Amino acid sequence: MSVEILLLCLLAALLELDTTYAFQLTFSRGVIAGPLFALITGDWAAGIQIGVFTELLFTDINPLGAILPPSAVICCAIAVALDSLGIQLCYAFIIAVLGSLLFVQVERRVRKQRVNLLTSWEKQIMQNPRAINRVVFLELGACFLINFVLISLFIGVSATLAQWLQPHIPQRAFYACQFAFMAVPWIGLASLIPEFRLKKR
Amino acid sequence: MKFSQHFGLFVRSFFLQTGWNYLKYQNLGLMFVMWPFVEKLYKQDKDAIPSVVSRYLATFNTQPVMASFCFGALAKQEEYIANAKTLDESNEETLEWNAIKRGLSITTASIGDRLFWGTLKPLTLLLALFIWLILGIHVFEIQQEDILPLTYVLAGSVAAFLAFNAIALFVKWQGIKISYNANNKACYGLTQFDWNRTIYNAKKIGLVLTIGLLLLGIYYYLRDFQHSIDVHFITRAVLILFFVCISFITRRLRIPNMYLYLAAVVIFNIVCYL
Repeated sequence: MSVEILLLCLLAALLELDTTYAFQLTFSRGVIAGPLFALITGDWAAGIQIGVFTELLFTDINPLGAILPPSAVICCAIAVALDSLGIQLCYAFIIAVLGSLLFVQVERRVRKQRVNLLTSWEKQIMQNPRAINRVVFLELGACFLINFVLISLFIGVSATLAQWLQPHIPQRAFYACQFAFMAVPWIGLASLIPEFRLKKR
Repeated sequence: MKFSQHFGLFVRSFFLQTGWNYLKYQNLGLMFVMWPFVEKLYKQDKDAIPSVVSRYLATFNTQPVMASFCFGALAKQEEYIANAKTLDESNEETLEWNAIKRGLSITTASIGDRLFWGTLKPLTLLLALFIWLILGIHVFEIQQEDILPLTYVLAGSVAAFLAFNAIALFVKWQGIKISYNANNKACYGLTQFDWNRTIYNAKKIGLVLTIGLLLLGIYYYLRDFQHSIDVHFITRAVLILFFVCISFITRRLRIPNMYLYLAAVVIFNIVCYL
């Protein structure tokens, strides 16, 4: 793994915290995360395109209540990393979307596991309420580490697979994937119209 | 409320969702945000702390930005509990505290989800797209060999970031202050803003911008093909139109866009091999 991919994984793990666990300053949005990752890899045009396409594709799922939307950070990180490793953008984006869906499943399991730890944390806090500071920052650190390991693993595995598969993918399949990739902004923009539908006040 | 306490609540509110869990949602976050305020309040009455902590560790869930209204109102009510003269008064104020926590968290979640996730986020996305288009970056079909200046690359992102956070941080900061100073007759400061009107107007702007962007996209699309309207152009236009129409249907069926995209990949591959 090159230094720039390692840096990208570190940044992605940090930005992923912004999705749920800390800040919520929207660093984890596609339009912000995509160009930020591209600053590391150097392909700025790809960064913008991936960022915009990711946000448009995920715009119809919001983190309401306990809903866990697919992570824009993971999608952008995988797509930008694969693009920098020479994988065609249209393939990189498919793998990235699948990666972000897989990450949601892992995140759901992590959250379920946290319920098991909750009793022990509450016990510690009841005995010494100041322990809340330690619990929160340990939890943040653990989330960062889990994110980093998962993102590195996703990028490593998907890059190896994609680099092995790419030369064998027929030209027709390339056109089909390219075409589907070009449809993304149109699908996204069309879904924004119902998003902004006006209801009577 | 002193400035230092207000600032403390504000800074700690960024960690409300740390430790989010399926059982009690943001309970650890609420405890983390409110603990310094509570600790100071019960400095002379350490015996009361376990019962206070158990209240904060009960279920809590709301929208992270609008949660500031809950913090201010709960802080004020906590002062009433701490300063209660009799046990009955204390119990009464505790009941009121629980009612505020339950009622206000639901109301603020509803407003926050509609305003921040449902309206402001897509609106600032459109702002970024327009800025990039104005700067000559055709976001629909960027050529990979395009060399873009760094300021152009960051302009859209920075605009979206600032536009969203200027409003979110303002609401977060003011929410604590307003709800702390308001009472239940004023819905803990929530009535100071006309949320419905704000959301309605923002959605109107969003709708206009979306239609504008769709038209701009069509313009760029037609411009790229103006010299060669051939079978390739028509096929492409029809297929894209098909998926745009399908996206309206999938939206009604609550099928996310990403599944539509993955379906498009499969369908286009099948079509290519027919």
